[in-house]
Amino acid sequence: MPLVDATRDAFGLLLSGDAELWQIVWVSLKTSVFGLLLATPVAVVLGYAIASHRFRGRRIAIWLAQAALSLPTVLIGLLLYLLLSRQGPAGGLHWLFTQSGMIAGQFVIAIPVLMAFTLAAVQAADPRYAETAVAHGASGWRVMTTLLYEVRFGVMAAVISGFGRVISEVGCALMVGGNIAGETRTITTAIALETSKGDFAQGIALGIVLVTIALLMNGALMLLQGDAHSARGRL
Amino acid sequence: MSALLAIERLRKRFGERELFDIPGFALDAAQAYVLTGVNGAGKSTLLRILGGLEHAEASALSFEGQALALDPYPVAMRAAVVYVHQHPIMFSTSVAHNIGYGLLARGVPRAQVAREVEAAMEWAGIARLRASDPASLSGGEKQRVALARAKVLQPKLLLLDEPTANLDGAAREQVIALIPTLIGAGGSIVMACHDRDLIGLPGVRRLKLRDGTIEYR
Repeated sequence: MPLVDATRDAFGLLLSGDAELWQIVWVSLKTSVFGLLLATPVAVVLGYAIASHRFRGRRIAIWLAQAALSLPTVLIGLLLYLLLSRQGPAGGLHWLFTQSGMIAGQFVIAIPVLMAFTLAAVQAADPRYAETAVAHGASGWRVMTTLLYEVRFGVMAAVISGFGRVISEVGCALMVGGNIAGETRTITTAIALETSKGDFAQGIALGIVLVTIALLMNGALMLLQGDAHSARGRL
Repeated sequence: MSALLAIERLRKRFGERELFDIPGFALDAAQAYVLTGVNGAGKSTLLRILGGLEHAEASALSFEGQALALDPYPVAMRAAVVYVHQHPIMFSTSVAHNIGYGLLARGVPRAQVAREVEAAMEWAGIARLRASDPASLSGGEKQRVALARAKVLQPKLLLLDEPTANLDGAAREQVIALIPTLIGAGGSIVMACHDRDLIGLPGVRRLKLRDGTIEYR
């Protein structure tokens, strides 16, 4: 059975500490985490602002943020490719086929997820939190930090979902990163490449790593949500 | 006695429906009031407007003798007026942090905040709850934390929305016992309530919201 053989070889690769394989994992984690770290403050503040302020075009902003959740990452990759290519408006940055370009891609992909989740969490918060903060003289900034602290489980869920989206996407990483070995090859782009070459062992090994990361992140989310539910039960 | 707050023609509408159109009323400095009226008369809404949590139209407003506009809510009133919900909500930090919240928001040094929070916990009889999870407090305990949270700010106008509603027995008695010291603290108080024991407290004047206007009783 080729699947069984390939899986056995995959565990062999993982356990032998294959340098190329772990380099790929490192690039994936690094670009995803950096992209997420840059996107989180921007998206959380934007999500909070849309949720808690009345302004013209607010419904359109919510609609666009939610619609952006379903944008294919390959389309974001295409747009970034055009922006970053030599003739493009941001060509001077020389970010095409670099980790910086990939981080920019992850940033763009993460923003809508983080924003939509934060927006939903803030909208669902008890209005008395913000009112109590305002009534006790809190500044706009303090009202925001108070409210985000109260919905921290929702914000954490946003970050974990954002991480899930960026670590698992392949289209943008492939187009903007270019799948260069040792430089911009990520778990997902490597799986696509190795499978097309017929080398299933490395593809499966990387798949195992990806699934493990997904399990760990979602396990963390479940633990957090469990805590949130018990807190709600005490109210 | 000088007026702390005077409003002329205060109108509140929800869409097409007019909740009230009060020709004018004034609140004296260092005076306690109870605001009565049937359910739905707009007691809570009126307190929320005075506390800057609800928009309304006023043709004139003066606070401490200064002419101001009601919308946007004046900074001078934000610093001097505190509104307490009927069912106060606790921030999920600690009881002490909840009580010190407004002081910290005003930039009071932490050591002073700690001292004032300690004194306020003693006053409200909740010192033993210092380490409790705020979410685990009973309704009466939450109300006392909320009163302490407001008291430390020494507001010139304290707005209490039904402070004893849904409390009974000892919890209600404990909250009622705190009100006279709040009244004696030098600021003005308006309490929306139906509670006869609060209405009957000495020195408390009665305002009645009826048919969209205020009657002094």
